[in-house]
Amino acid sequence: MLPTRLLLYPLGVLLLLGGALPDALARIKLTTLPVRERVALQLDHAQVALVEEERLVPLVQGRNQVDFSWANTRIDPDSLVLRILDTPDGAEPRAQVLSVSYPPHENALVWTVAARTAGTARMRISYILGGLNKSFHYRALADHAERTLVLSQYLQISNSAQEAFASAAIQAEVGPRLERPLGLNETKELRLNQFAAVPVRKTYTSDPLRFGYLDRDQDKLNVPMHYVIRNAGAPLGREALPEGKARIFQDDGQGGSAFLGEDRGTFTAPDDELKLYLGLARDIVVRRSVERSERQRIAGNLYRYDVTLKYEIQNFKDSPATLDLVESVRHIRDSLYGAVERDPEWQLGAGSLRDPDPQHSDADQLLFHITLPPRTAAGTAVKQIHTLRLSLNNEW
Amino acid sequence: MVSAVNTLIARRWMSRLLSLAGLLLSLSANAGNVDLATVPERRTVQLTIYNAEDLTLVRETRELNFKPGVNPLRFSWANTLIDPTSVELRFPDAAGGLELLDTTFPHDKPQSLYWNVRSDTERTARIEISYFTSGIRWEADYLAIADPDERQLRLDSFVRVRNDSGEDYEDAQVRLVVGTLNLVEKIAVLARLPVGRIDELKRDEYQNLRQKAARPLMAAPATPAAEAVGMAADAAVLEAPKAIAKAGLSEYFIYSIEGTETVPNGWAKRLRSFVAEAVPMTVEYRYRPREYGEALTRLYLLRNDRDSHLGGTPLPDGRVRVFRADAEGGLHYLATQNLAYVPIGDRIELNLGADPAVLFKEVKERVYRDQFWLQIKGGTLYRKLGEEGLKLDVDSQVAGWDEHTVYRQEIRNYSTQPIRVQIRRAYDGDVLFRSRLNPTLHDFQTVQVERVVAAGEKAALEYEVVARMGYSQKQSRVEVQAGDPGR
Repeated sequence: MLPTRLLLYPLGVLLLLGGALPDALARIKLTTLPVRERVALQLDHAQVALVEEERLVPLVQGRNQVDFSWANTRIDPDSLVLRILDTPDGAEPRAQVLSVSYPPHENALVWTVAARTAGTARMRISYILGGLNKSFHYRALADHAERTLVLSQYLQISNSAQEAFASAAIQAEVGPRLERPLGLNETKELRLNQFAAVPVRKTYTSDPLRFGYLDRDQDKLNVPMHYVIRNAGAPLGREALPEGKARIFQDDGQGGSAFLGEDRGTFTAPDDELKLYLGLARDIVVRRSVERSERQRIAGNLYRYDVTLKYEIQNFKDSPATLDLVESVRHIRDSLYGAVERDPEWQLGAGSLRDPDPQHSDADQLLFHITLPPRTAAGTAVKQIHTLRLSLNNEW
Repeated sequence: MVSAVNTLIARRWMSRLLSLAGLLLSLSANAGNVDLATVPERRTVQLTIYNAEDLTLVRETRELNFKPGVNPLRFSWANTLIDPTSVELRFPDAAGGLELLDTTFPHDKPQSLYWNVRSDTERTARIEISYFTSGIRWEADYLAIADPDERQLRLDSFVRVRNDSGEDYEDAQVRLVVGTLNLVEKIAVLARLPVGRIDELKRDEYQNLRQKAARPLMAAPATPAAEAVGMAADAAVLEAPKAIAKAGLSEYFIYSIEGTETVPNGWAKRLRSFVAEAVPMTVEYRYRPREYGEALTRLYLLRNDRDSHLGGTPLPDGRVRVFRADAEGGLHYLATQNLAYVPIGDRIELNLGADPAVLFKEVKERVYRDQFWLQIKGGTLYRKLGEEGLKLDVDSQVAGWDEHTVYRQEIRNYSTQPIRVQIRRAYDGDVLFRSRLNPTLHDFQTVQVERVVAAGEKAALEYEVVARMGYSQKQSRVEVQAGDPGR
């Protein structure tokens, strides 16, 4: 009995031919070309794309040669898995793989499959395919009052794998599974989710270590603005938000929307905050100066440093705001007394800033929330003065 | 595509003509330019492939008709990687009736040799030719597919034989040697050198000793070749993949592939070595920076033993591809890693990398210092701060102190299963580790903490590290102490 040979081409080109096998040289054979029944693109791994395809393969009783070739595509041949799906009642398998042969200098392999009886077997072939790249994108549309926003999440797939998929079930690490075609060299953007009425907090931050000064000579700090979205509570919080570019818009109150800018959102786990940078605020002014710096000898070369930082804050906006004031104790010590490797040991003194946010403060960083009233009806911005008093103990 | 196949066929025939490792029964002794020869075919061929050394012993038998008197034989191996010094001729059946008189390597015909064999009578006899060749390799690889609930997995083990030796070996009995160390030791013994100085051997010398060391092992009696399995003639019988018999021999395992295999030059062939279904496994998360880097690493743990439906053989070095099946039967790719040789009974660890569903973050909460010792005037006198009678001497230096650092280890489990987390942190110097986490010491400087984190739980593990610094450092070791972190 001449073995029947089957060719499975991931490429669209299908040919009928006789072929060469190690033990069957130059014999004329009949080849059947089973088509794909179903394709799934598993994009849930951070680095690689796994393709799973199912084909109905007619087998003769006894041995069958099943060729699989992938000219011009970047299939990782070592990742290929062929599974012959069992009959539904879970009976003994009707067919099984005996061996795999790899011809020289070809992107191909030959499965030798034994079949108990002639008939059609459903085969599932899985392989890692290079050239299928994905990224995530976001579109955030804030309401006019900047209290909530609509966050849309998109998956972008660019197909430079030299392989077309007439229809594929596409699954990324987040979002639902979507059935879509994906053509050669196509880039496709799929909306995975749209989260409505997501609470958003607009923050104004001063952080001399991270964001520096607007005008060093006048002690004026940069005050960047962010939209902060907590990935928790309905409708968010069920899955992480993968990193990706976010375009930010605001409802202009006249039926349109204004583009506020774009930022790269970082991976945000549930319960964490996604911060999107909007630019520098010019209507909130923060001046920071060192009001006091003294050292007290404890013994020998062992000292305590007493430091007071003063902040003069004005809100020139006609709406109230909250300023997130961030300091690094190490940065304060190193800039005043010279950098040393050991961690600072500190205590908060009796300044006006005494209750750091415990969620965002640690051995080095302190975060205070300061509420700023809007400018008065007469147009003047009240100047708030705050002090941060620190004792830096056991320094030398 | 058609032309590609034709080219392939043509290439294979060319390769066959050019790379013949052939035996000619020469009809004129050490012939001149005009020559007539008969070409006795191989009857059997056996390959013993030692992958660690790129070394394969080929033993082939052929049947020859000898006339009484001297019979010249020519053996040639153009365009192959056969080692000429390793070729040996034996007469397994003719007890004393056949005698090898001499072996000649002619200067004008490279890659060939002549044997003169004297026969006492007209006879047909089987001869055995053995030689070493390089260019044939084998390697193991594995496919692990975990169940959707990650309690069991299926482990497929494969061997792949690749032939780049320049010669087609058809219907060969194939034996694969698993093991790496002994050969080197034997070379060292033969060379009268310590194992660490084998590199000093000259290449020729090393090759020679390597063959000497390998030959006794590789010449071990062949497992009887099973009948080649043909097409299933019986309608109800499904042809099974070839069995690969595993036998221990000294420090080695020898895998003998059932029946015979044909691996043409340039081709590779992959056969299943074994499959183990429903292998019990556990999932563990480990933070061990020295072994796995800074990420909390997810692992599948299983054991190469009988209870785990494994343990029939050591697992040779090879690449493992790990997938997880989903409820619909689809696969999800998890990782690829190189598995180092796993002895029978040993653990198998499959490293899946970081899990985005589990967050692991260490926060330094607070730092403070106490127990200061001052060195007085740079001399040998040390006084403790706070001791009675200690003056605030200007000319004294901090020499020793205790540095307290309070940490909070956050573990957030967003997966749907409870997870087992093991954390190992190594500390240099004289350190006290204080916590209520029931820590143990993995070694003198490494603390180990274990914790199960329920699905959806946000665990915060608090601990304090007290490092005795400078003059106060009396030891180099970590002590663990039950207690609340912080002052």
